[in-house]
Amino acid sequence: MEKKRTQVDDIDRSLYDFADDEAGAERLDAGLTPGIVREISAKKDEPDWMLDFRLQALDTYLHMAAPDWGPALDGLDMDHIVTYVKPNTEQQSDWESLPDDVKNTFDRLGIPQAERAYLAGVGAQYDSELVYHNMQDTAAKQGIVYSGIEEALHDPQWEPLIRSKFMTLIPPTDHKFAALHGAVWSGGSFVYVPAGVKLDFPLQSYFRLNAKGAGQFEHTLIIVEDDADLHFIEGCSAPKYNVANLHAGAVELFVGKNARLRYSTIENWSKNMYNLNTKRARVDEGGAVEWVSGSFGSHVGYLYPMSILAGRKSTCTFTGITFAGAGQNLDTGCKVVLAAPDTSAAVETKSISKGGGISTFRSSVVATEAAHGSAASVSCQSLMLDNASRSDTIPAMDIRCKNVDIGHEATIGRISDDTVFYLMSRGVSEEEARTMVVNGFAEPVSKELPLEYAVEMNNLIKLEMEGAIG
Amino acid sequence: MAATPAASANAAPTITLHHVNAMPAPTWHRLRVNETGVEFPADLRAEPDVQVEAPQELLGEPGAFETALKRLEAHLKSTGELAAASPAGAVADPLDQPALSAFQAASATVEASGSLERAFETGMGSEAFAYLREAAGEPVVIATAPGQQGARAAVRVRGVDGAASAAAVDVVAAEGSDVSVSIALDSPEPGAGAVGCSLRVFAGRDARVSITSTQTLDPAWIALDDTGMMLDERARADVRHTVLGAGQSYTGLAGDLRGEEAKVAVDTRYLGSGARELDFNYELRHHGAKTESAMNANGVLAGASSKTLRGTIDFVRGCKGASGQEVETVLIADERAANRTVPVILCGEDDVAGNHGATIGHVRPEQLLYLASRGLSPEAAEQLFLRATLEEAALSAPDDATRAGVARLGRALLEDFEEEIA
Repeated sequence: MEKKRTQVDDIDRSLYDFADDEAGAERLDAGLTPGIVREISAKKDEPDWMLDFRLQALDTYLHMAAPDWGPALDGLDMDHIVTYVKPNTEQQSDWESLPDDVKNTFDRLGIPQAERAYLAGVGAQYDSELVYHNMQDTAAKQGIVYSGIEEALHDPQWEPLIRSKFMTLIPPTDHKFAALHGAVWSGGSFVYVPAGVKLDFPLQSYFRLNAKGAGQFEHTLIIVEDDADLHFIEGCSAPKYNVANLHAGAVELFVGKNARLRYSTIENWSKNMYNLNTKRARVDEGGAVEWVSGSFGSHVGYLYPMSILAGRKSTCTFTGITFAGAGQNLDTGCKVVLAAPDTSAAVETKSISKGGGISTFRSSVVATEAAHGSAASVSCQSLMLDNASRSDTIPAMDIRCKNVDIGHEATIGRISDDTVFYLMSRGVSEEEARTMVVNGFAEPVSKELPLEYAVEMNNLIKLEMEGAIG
Repeated sequence: MAATPAASANAAPTITLHHVNAMPAPTWHRLRVNETGVEFPADLRAEPDVQVEAPQELLGEPGAFETALKRLEAHLKSTGELAAASPAGAVADPLDQPALSAFQAASATVEASGSLERAFETGMGSEAFAYLREAAGEPVVIATAPGQQGARAAVRVRGVDGAASAAAVDVVAAEGSDVSVSIALDSPEPGAGAVGCSLRVFAGRDARVSITSTQTLDPAWIALDDTGMMLDERARADVRHTVLGAGQSYTGLAGDLRGEEAKVAVDTRYLGSGARELDFNYELRHHGAKTESAMNANGVLAGASSKTLRGTIDFVRGCKGASGQEVETVLIADERAANRTVPVILCGEDDVAGNHGATIGHVRPEQLLYLASRGLSPEAAEQLFLRATLEEAALSAPDDATRAGVARLGRALLEDFEEEIA
């Protein structure tokens, strides 16, 4: 007999789904013109080269086609997106100096508490600007720089370095929304970890998009020098509106020789968000980049962190989970380029679809002619929680080298009735049983996160699972 | 036909078939795996050299395939398994609906059309299908009677210098029947041109169809091997593609497992050598409940050869209990060889089991060391794999003429090859 399925209830997302009044905020006109780009640049008092860069990127954007292989972008009308919204505060280094509404927002999201408990530094962005940035003295004494990228751009010590790296890993010509980012980027962080320095506690940036119909375009640039070690955490959220919002950030990571960088993300944008984010890392000899990625929110997601293993014996790992619920089409995955001898990559992803949501795992592994002795393994598991949803797996492998070992495996399925029955026979409700199974399915990802973030991820899964009795 | 003519100042004019071997769900264009194009000399005339060996009673009438498709459509509509086309419903708030990709939207439109004619497709796509059918002329129709067992037919297409030599073949297996069809694309005489086969298969209820296709063209030729299949309840199709030659080789297969418990198994063996380009596209679409598919590809890439293999298992909503698996093993035997593999699972049904795996590797140093200790150089060890692929193709060839084609190709690649299989 076919099992009856209940409807998926609306989810209580009140923890994330609250909006502040925009009183006092400064909004530029909606749309995208050279005038708006010049206005953004002028507000930031940028060097001329950056204005030229922005205008060139805008030109690239206007002449580039939108991707035609992923979720539809018809609902994203740039004429109705405000590319710059300045909150009613300047950047502060203590929470108490922030306006009450902004401070309360980050309080509710638990950011100050997290900073006190286990972070070495925090940056908080609200709409288009950083509103809070602080780092512990112990980290500063080690020579670590963690600041707003615009602030660093105005520092003669860092401006040449930023200029030499900015949008070199993600050039505006890479894709249409990289070009958009290049034209209107605002806010974001700059991190510099000197050679040999190992930071014991993570740094975190949190991005909150409060403004209705706005875009957020922060730029994160991290340089981890030789033999250094850093864990960087990124979080994001937004209230839900009945119009589209846009996130087109960029993350560029430079990992030096024998250095290690772990980049963890819990993405929980609201379900009216088009999340068209680009992340890319270049890893030198013996270096390692470790991506941990949880994608829960957004109406549409295009997110594929890319690792370019440019140095001999460099490595990357990608551990990711995507949870697509009602109204969502999340196209996520990763890209790996094995571009030097003896490199290795390990990709393990999980995707869950529920309530009519669509999850697509998309990946590419490219082994260049220089990749002798390299290896890559890709494992992708998909879980369907009902028959109204969809889960696609589209991996590609391009191997141009003889002495490499590339493995790929993928499975797709559902929670077995036997498992649920067994758990229910032990006194667990059906909803709890399914949540337990999903949490177990997600465990390889959550175990890679600091405890507090693993708890948050499990809570997000619980939130998403409410009413999802299959 | 939508082929595009092109010419430059110094080159001979050409025509191009577009959207060949296009995978249903595309990915990043810069990977250049979504589809390919096939370029021909524009002056290639249509001149089929096709031999058909089949008992007279097995040769059916043109239109048999279309009739079978219409009958199945009518049956599925009468049982409610295929919905009649329905008007679009009310449009909800776009932000409350998933933003479908172009592929997802197109797929939903085809499913909603309730038309098997619209749903039917071949692996190489509509432009290649139209080209091959036009080049081939009147199709060869192989049709079994209900319950007929042991039917066999062979189709041999030989290259004609300066021409496109193609066969159009429709196989219609009636309920409970069993038919084996072998197809050989060969170039026994020197020359250059295109050699191809356009194959449509309808497997009726409880029918079994076995297709063996062997391509042994010399490097100057272009091979086009295009197949589309429709399977009714409990029908089974076993396909063996052996792709050994041609300068450019294109192989496409699309199978629609429409009836409950239908099964398709595709076994592909390929050999890349010299500067050969091999391009494959497989799409197995599960509509019926408890349908099963299996794709197994195994190949060796030597010389400066390159290969692209796209394999898609598509679980359409409603195919409860279906299972599909796809496995590819590639041995890269030369520094200059290039391999691209795209194993795709599309899934709109939760009650399915789908998996795919790919292993791309080389002869491991410890294996080479072991072989060296037995007196084999690394080059000789890698030649063993080429030899093994050719020998296996020769030994499993369905008839002497096909085996002769393998032997001819083997002689060109390896010394003493013919003696080994004698």
